Amino acid sequence: MGNNKDFFDKEYMPQMNRIGKITGALGVIIAFAPALVLAVVYGILPKPAALATAFVAGASSFGVLWFVEPISYFSVLGPVGTYMAFLSGNISNMRVPCASMAQISAEVEPGSEQGSIIATIGMAVSIIINVSVLTIGVILGSSILAKLPESITSALGYLLPALFGALLVQFGINKKVHALGILIFAFLINVGLNFGVFAWLPGASNYLGILTSVFLSIVVMILTYNAQQKKSE
Amino acid sequence: MSALEIANSLPMWIACGLAVAVVIIQALLFAIKAYGAGKKVGLTEKQMKKAMKSSAITSIGPSIVILSGMLSLLITVGAPVAWMRLSMIGSVMFESLAAGIGTNVVGVQLGVDELTHQALAMAVWTMVLCSIGWVIFATFSANRMDKIQNKLGGGDAQKLISISVAAVIGVFAAMCAQHLVKILQFNPETKAFAGVGFSKHAFACVLGGVIMGIMMQVSKKIPALKEWNLTISILAAMIIAAVI
Repeated sequence: MGNNKDFFDKEYMPQMNRIGKITGALGVIIAFAPALVLAVVYGILPKPAALATAFVAGASSFGVLWFVEPISYFSVLGPVGTYMAFLSGNISNMRVPCASMAQISAEVEPGSEQGSIIATIGMAVSIIINVSVLTIGVILGSSILAKLPESITSALGYLLPALFGALLVQFGINKKVHALGILIFAFLINVGLNFGVFAWLPGASNYLGILTSVFLSIVVMILTYNAQQKKSE
Repeated sequence: MSALEIANSLPMWIACGLAVAVVIIQALLFAIKAYGAGKKVGLTEKQMKKAMKSSAITSIGPSIVILSGMLSLLITVGAPVAWMRLSMIGSVMFESLAAGIGTNVVGVQLGVDELTHQALAMAVWTMVLCSIGWVIFATFSANRMDKIQNKLGGGDAQKLISISVAAVIGVFAAMCAQHLVKILQFNPETKAFAGVGFSKHAFACVLGGVIMGIMMQVSKKIPALKEWNLTISILAAMIIAAVI
């Protein structure tokens, strides 16, 4: 086990961090490629003043999320998952459920070394499937969705809520009181959001539910864990 | 050339293809390294293959939901950009909002007015500028957050697991709450509270949880069912919510 820990911390993680930073930086630069093609090939550039206006409007709507989302999801995704999830996007609706499903079927715990490796594999697979489906879709165009019966497309709308409910039970079953408490808390936050209680917060305030639930859950868990350790001493 | 012809031109496909390639290359590099490392930390090939299979199955449904979002973006900003933006950093809601903010500044309402050259450039630049914040912050804070979390764990592996499980519960509780809260109904025009009522989304969420609970009990007696627990729960809840 000692060797494993050494390998994971001293060899594997530094390598993954290096890959993550290089590909992340590359991704940020390459993201400008279509904008540059418009400028260089077609000579179309937005007027700086107009672009600045749009950027300020966009940043004041989404800017908080640039920081809040990576922090909120970190303990779930881990460092490698964080590199991957934020370069590929679609985090709550794909990356997080896929990482969890992968961990469940391999029977490893989140937060362990094995759990981190399995989550990485699961997320990579989900990215490849996601991009493949989009690529097939973009080649075939709207005709592909028109061929799907209406009943299937409407049923797919209920896939995510069903998945979230099932996963909450899966992970919460051994910590029923804890999970139920956090769910009630999250529900109240969402009721507050709906009634505009948090309207004074900058930008889109939907992030509030995830951020506060994750942190409350971690704090309560650490306190319970410490209390149990003391008791058993 | 019209703006949409430019948006669907070969140079745009190449530029967007490069960006999608970076996402795929990163995923492949990580997957190959993780697969190799998995063997060294005691994971069996069977476990890793199972993980890949269940992740692949889980990905299909949400991918189709994203695809339908892409198709609406496709007619407004062209196929290559829509494809790239939803394969990279994107989320359906964010992309259409960002594109709309960009074109509105130059007086073009996305999907209503004809796309002008300026509006196309504004949509592309706004989407890119507003999305790289996520990647920059995530990429350069990931291993710092890892250090903070390890400090919180205090070198206690079991405690680190508890922290992660707590975070997972927190995320899924919040996601569930976003759907459960749909039982509160608001007047679409006045936005005034209109009482509590039935919501299919909230119902699907509760049903997914209840069926999962039952399946976990049943599979204690029939262990072969265990790996199908989630698939059965999700499909059953989804279908029941759709047909009622």
